[in-house]
Amino acid sequence: MNGCIVAFCCEHSAYPAADLAGKLRLHYPENIRVIRVPCAGRVDVIHILKALEKGAAAVLVLGCEDGACHHITGNTRAKERVKYCNMLLKEVQIDGRPVAMFNLSPNAPHKFVSAVNEITKIIKESGR
Amino acid sequence: MEPKIGVFLCNCGGAINNIDFDAAVKKVAKFPGVTCVNLSSDLCLEKGREKMISCIRGENIERVVVAACSPEFQEHIFRKVLEKAGLNDHLLSMANIREQCSWTHDGDVTEKAVELVKMAVNRVRLLQPMEKKELPVNREVLVVGGGFSASNTVLQLSRVGLRTTLLEKEAVLGAGTEELESFYGFDTGSMISAVEVDKNIEVLTSAQMTEVGGKIGDFSVRIRQEGGEILRKYGAIVLATGHQTELALDSEPQLRAEDEAISGLNIVSQEQFCCMLGNSGLETEPKTIGFMFDFSDENSRFTTLATLNNALAAKKKWGSEIYVFCKNVKVDSEGMEKLYREARDCGVVFLKSEAPPRITAENGRVKIEAKDVFLGEDVILACDVLVAEELYLPAEGAENLSSLLSIRRDSKGFFQDENVHLYPVGSEKKGIFFIGGCRGDLDLGRVLTDISSVVMKVHELLSSGKILVELEKVKADPQKCVACLTCIRVCPHGAIQLVRVDGSKEVAEISDLACDACGICAAICPAKAIKFQGYRDEEILAQIEAIQEL
Amino acid sequence: MESKDVLVVGSGISGVASALELANAGVSVYLIEKEAVIGGHSASFCCKATDICSKCSACVVSDKIKEAVIHPQITLLTNSTIKGLGGELGNFHVEIIQQPRYVDEERCIACGLCTEICPTDPKAIYPPFAEATPFSYILDKGRCLRFKGERCDLCRGSCPTKAIGFELKSKERELNVGAIIVATGFDVFDAREKGSLGYGRYPNVLTGLDLEQIFTREGYLRLPTNGKEPRNIAFIQCVGSRDEGHGYCSQVCCKYAMKLAGLIKYQNPDTQVAIFYIDLQTTGKGFAQFYEKYKESVRFVRGVPVEILQTISGELEVRFEDISQGKVCRDNFDLVVLSVGISPGKNSWDLARILGINLADDGFFDKKDSLSCNETNVDGIFLAGTCQGPKDIPDSIAHGIAAASKAMQMLAKSASRRRGN
Repeated sequence: MNGCIVAFCCEHSAYPAADLAGKLRLHYPENIRVIRVPCAGRVDVIHILKALEKGAAAVLVLGCEDGACHHITGNTRAKERVKYCNMLLKEVQIDGRPVAMFNLSPNAPHKFVSAVNEITKIIKESGR
Repeated sequence: MEPKIGVFLCNCGGAINNIDFDAAVKKVAKFPGVTCVNLSSDLCLEKGREKMISCIRGENIERVVVAACSPEFQEHIFRKVLEKAGLNDHLLSMANIREQCSWTHDGDVTEKAVELVKMAVNRVRLLQPMEKKELPVNREVLVVGGGFSASNTVLQLSRVGLRTTLLEKEAVLGAGTEELESFYGFDTGSMISAVEVDKNIEVLTSAQMTEVGGKIGDFSVRIRQEGGEILRKYGAIVLATGHQTELALDSEPQLRAEDEAISGLNIVSQEQFCCMLGNSGLETEPKTIGFMFDFSDENSRFTTLATLNNALAAKKKWGSEIYVFCKNVKVDSEGMEKLYREARDCGVVFLKSEAPPRITAENGRVKIEAKDVFLGEDVILACDVLVAEELYLPAEGAENLSSLLSIRRDSKGFFQDENVHLYPVGSEKKGIFFIGGCRGDLDLGRVLTDISSVVMKVHELLSSGKILVELEKVKADPQKCVACLTCIRVCPHGAIQLVRVDGSKEVAEISDLACDACGICAAICPAKAIKFQGYRDEEILAQIEAIQEL
Repeated sequence: MESKDVLVVGSGISGVASALELANAGVSVYLIEKEAVIGGHSASFCCKATDICSKCSACVVSDKIKEAVIHPQITLLTNSTIKGLGGELGNFHVEIIQQPRYVDEERCIACGLCTEICPTDPKAIYPPFAEATPFSYILDKGRCLRFKGERCDLCRGSCPTKAIGFELKSKERELNVGAIIVATGFDVFDAREKGSLGYGRYPNVLTGLDLEQIFTREGYLRLPTNGKEPRNIAFIQCVGSRDEGHGYCSQVCCKYAMKLAGLIKYQNPDTQVAIFYIDLQTTGKGFAQFYEKYKESVRFVRGVPVEILQTISGELEVRFEDISQGKVCRDNFDLVVLSVGISPGKNSWDLARILGINLADDGFFDKKDSLSCNETNVDGIFLAGTCQGPKDIPDSIAHGIAAASKAMQMLAKSASRRRGN
């Protein structure tokens, strides 16, 4: 899976934002694979780590804006889990494989695209 | 036995031109479990779907993958196709090869499209059929409160055929409606009489909730009254506990009761001023009146309304000189700008200042000093009565109610989190609603809207006496659950409770009625006991497995 | 014939909210819309989140529209208006006329081949705005060569699904419904009416709505004249509200201006923003904290400007009375945003005449009395949303739900009366 970004997209925010980016014909790198989830809070640490174990270059978790989660606390929990993953990765000295959380609304396609572009840049800079 | 998977690809009438569909079909046909691959140009049209149905039937397909446009708009249509073809409608997975593939990347995207199909195939292989069922719900509604909002709500609910209990903690109904009555001219008395004679409405006064359990369609409420406790069951709960006002002492540090000079002065609240207006036996009519609002509390819609109404009434009744001190006049409610103009036309003077005025005593009168922005100078007014600034707060007991019901409040203590998805009258728990002043600074128009909105919401939920659910969509496996209570604490919708199974073991039970299918519990369960159909760990991991494994 | 169906006129957020409530309650709903796309004004509003959600509710609109489009109980009729009305509560006969769309929304797959090949400029066939539903292309008769008498068939020939048809004529149909909910929304105040503010003359004078659409389309703000980042922006409040022609507050402008200012500052903390106001409406759930946050970084000036002039260097000179200083000032800005207000719909008069409902003094549809919320003077016809008066998105949704509630209650009452209860 070298070079692929696995993006867990919440069905209330990031997934429709990605669709909208498509409708607007906004372009972003091809090496991203979206996995649709009902809430960013569904994403577990094991999912993120498995993706990295399989060779993902980065893992993104995208959920609703702070204070606008459909399920109130889902995006906050996701953020904590992403932090925890990064801490684990640091402890086992795996770096250059970013795990990041982004918050956006369903009508913010540009935020989706810039999230993907930002992570792609970080991957390139870390030389993977 | 591996289920037979059928993959249907659509090229959108031939318009998707950066995917080599022939090559894609060849690759997809090789995926384990795929017994049939079909390329169509119009899966979203009637004839394309008819072809799909005959293919599913003809090839004895058991699971379906559709690789086309986004599931956002089409998933429900394809689920119906599965149903028509005789399959359980949950056995479908979609690959978004248009909005998230063809349309966003330049050049040939065949490889990515094939991988997206593989992800969907891996997932669909593991999906389990799901059953839908109508579960019965209790049609009775509990409305907490006894003022304007609560009373009108139970009257409207009765009109739509729902029985209600009106729960008021005071001894009588109609508390706090006097001001509204004087501003809007409606009759509280007839409203209360209508409530009392309505056969669908049970009125409990001097009564409070002490315990609430259960979930939508089945709330159990313990009510304490004079004389004892009763246990009742309701399908939904509406909080209409209103607001209270408090003199804003913080912004007027001089207004302390201990201050001899001030305590003897005529510094009143809007409500007290209303009473003065209505008091035909008033000793002396005040010649100069001062009003203050919008310095300590930005939520001043209601106080703007009260001030304008009271000022106009005083002008008309006593012809007094009236001065209003404020920072901004809050006119963002229906009719407010009109009222503001009327007040000024009648001679009410508005003095706007940035900093709160200084209040002192002078010769038994209230002295107000403020720097008016328009004049650029200090204005000093000595008045007979000062209607002081009030804070608009949730009614007493809001904190207690919020913990009884385990529902969130906003940063000012009013009900309902500030989350936009809960508006207008919802809470994070299905079946619990908030209306009126208890959820914020509302004017009459907004309160009336709240009342009718909640009636609609409750009617929609309960009127048929049953709610259609997907059975066991999210379920805690009783074999694995260790009753650690984590999911119960974490569920944002209060959908999980502990139940006893097999006579001895306690396990978490997720209510199909209250669950909102977020999966937060499934992610957090330390024993991995919770299965969320369609998004189980294996279903998510299977998608990851598919990536670059062609 | 007696009917329990409901007609909702207008597919803005309020109409959609009404339709959804009724549909979820099992009622069959006809949702008619005069434009080719549904969603009204609020469907093109941008997300104004900074590091937290700013509660503008623009995202709620797209959610609800999606739900309405896929709901089996809702029949969507775009390009449709009401021609006539007969009957009464429980038994209305409504004549609808549906203009030909020329592009079949069922067949259009939004591939864009037609736009590519269209020879006119601006294009006669084009996609709707991004969140539009249905996301089918629109043919503008006014621009199309064929409708001007020329023989052009390029788009039809290029369409892979044969979605384009020029021979289509307008269709008339009669709907039999029990109740009608009017949710025709508002028109934005035309800022050109305040000529001295320069809208329409100076490219760097925009309205609040323009700004929303720019953010949705581009994701960031650049000056229309030179594409550079604006460094100094002025928001002018109450343009078309609280003035001689409009005796009301539009309720949304102070909030949208501050939230847009917040978004601008978040994207570019160095950008200077000034907001010129009469009375700052810092009300509503969570808003006071929002104001606290920006009190220091945004310059709030009490005093609404009356004149804007463009300098030789292209800057905008704003002339205003700074009330706190008590004198007339002139300040230069790169960009000026006019916070335009909510005005009654231009077609309200026609619709009022056809339906027999009253207009209030301010031009919005009139409620029956001060204690009613959605009822009009005609039994069975209800109002939802900004067509009755200015409202923000959450209030429009609430009003739409309330209208649905009243419609259901009244239909139930009328049915039981007919049964002789």
